[in-house]
Amino acid sequence: MKIIISIFISLSCLFPQDSIQVTLNPCDDPLLELAGSLGIKSIPIKDIPRFKKMMKACDDQGGDKIIEQIIFQDWQRDYKKAKVMQAWTSTFSICVAIIYVYFMAGLILSS
Amino acid sequence: MKSQIQVLILTTIVSLSSIVIAQPKLSVDFGMGVYQPTLSGFDDNTGVPFPTKSIFNRNLLMNWGIHKEIFSNFRMGYNSFTSFEIGELSLVNSEAVFYRSIRYRFFPIETYFRWRPRIELNFTLSPIWGRAKISVDTSPGDKSDDWNQLLNSFGDSDPMSGMGSTDAMRTDWIGFSGMIGGRYYLSSRLGFDFKMGFMNNSYSSSVDFIKNIGYSKDQWRLENSKVKGPDLKIDDLPIFSFKVIFGLR
Repeated sequence: MKIIISIFISLSCLFPQDSIQVTLNPCDDPLLELAGSLGIKSIPIKDIPRFKKMMKACDDQGGDKIIEQIIFQDWQRDYKKAKVMQAWTSTFSICVAIIYVYFMAGLILSS
Repeated sequence: MKSQIQVLILTTIVSLSSIVIAQPKLSVDFGMGVYQPTLSGFDDNTGVPFPTKSIFNRNLLMNWGIHKEIFSNFRMGYNSFTSFEIGELSLVNSEAVFYRSIRYRFFPIETYFRWRPRIELNFTLSPIWGRAKISVDTSPGDKSDDWNQLLNSFGDSDPMSGMGSTDAMRTDWIGFSGMIGGRYYLSSRLGFDFKMGFMNNSYSSSVDFIKNIGYSKDQWRLENSKVKGPDLKIDDLPIFSFKVIFGLR
């Protein structure tokens, strides 16, 4: 019994299992997918270095169009969301502008 | 009818969930501000030779803040503009280390829109909670005399008889500010923000509502007693701020 166990251990040491060589495409990285779907700001701060690394790796492997698309979509997403003022925010902005002009005019006239 | 109610509930949950999980935007900012107060209580003081005024201890404000986008085109937060002064005071009994800070705590309510994908224009109205603090590190045996010399130079008459180990005189007031500015985004997370506007800090008056919430040279506190502080002109001040913004989420 001891001999059988010794042989088994020896064989397992001599012929270990091959490590699985998986070559993942960096353009398919979940971080890039997250940035593409929800925006770059949705990536946690701690993952930014890895995200930058994946962007560079993807770019190097010919995925420059994908990277450009992620960045373009991100700008467009923020722009579309904020280009028109919602609800009362425009009224508030006008009030601020009026107060500002009133104050500046007073300052100029008093001096 | 029952199934229609279920459909209504499901539709409501789905539509509300899109609001609940909408991407929050939290940003921090660091920068500086420029303004021009008249601190005549220090500059024209003949009783105590305060450190020489310069652009760094009069006009520059260190600034940091944190903002949260509540919903589209609207963010709120906290911004602290601080003016520092540090130096030596030649008092009768000792060479004391003098430290003065004036902190304007802004609670900005800001609306904005994107004029271009990278350029934002913003409009800010902020209540202000201001606080000024003066501390003097003197030799332990001469604390009361040194502090009295300082306070007498502001117009008081020997108000302190005993002092603690850590002493600083403070006062608070409220005010408001209005600013208009722009922001240029270098990336979706990083941007430069420039604002210009005014800051109006209130003064105590006989009106009950603002009797004790505006600035008054008679409302300074030191060791739980009221003392006189310096004359400060901090109302109707134009202010400029420049910040670097970093989006956390």
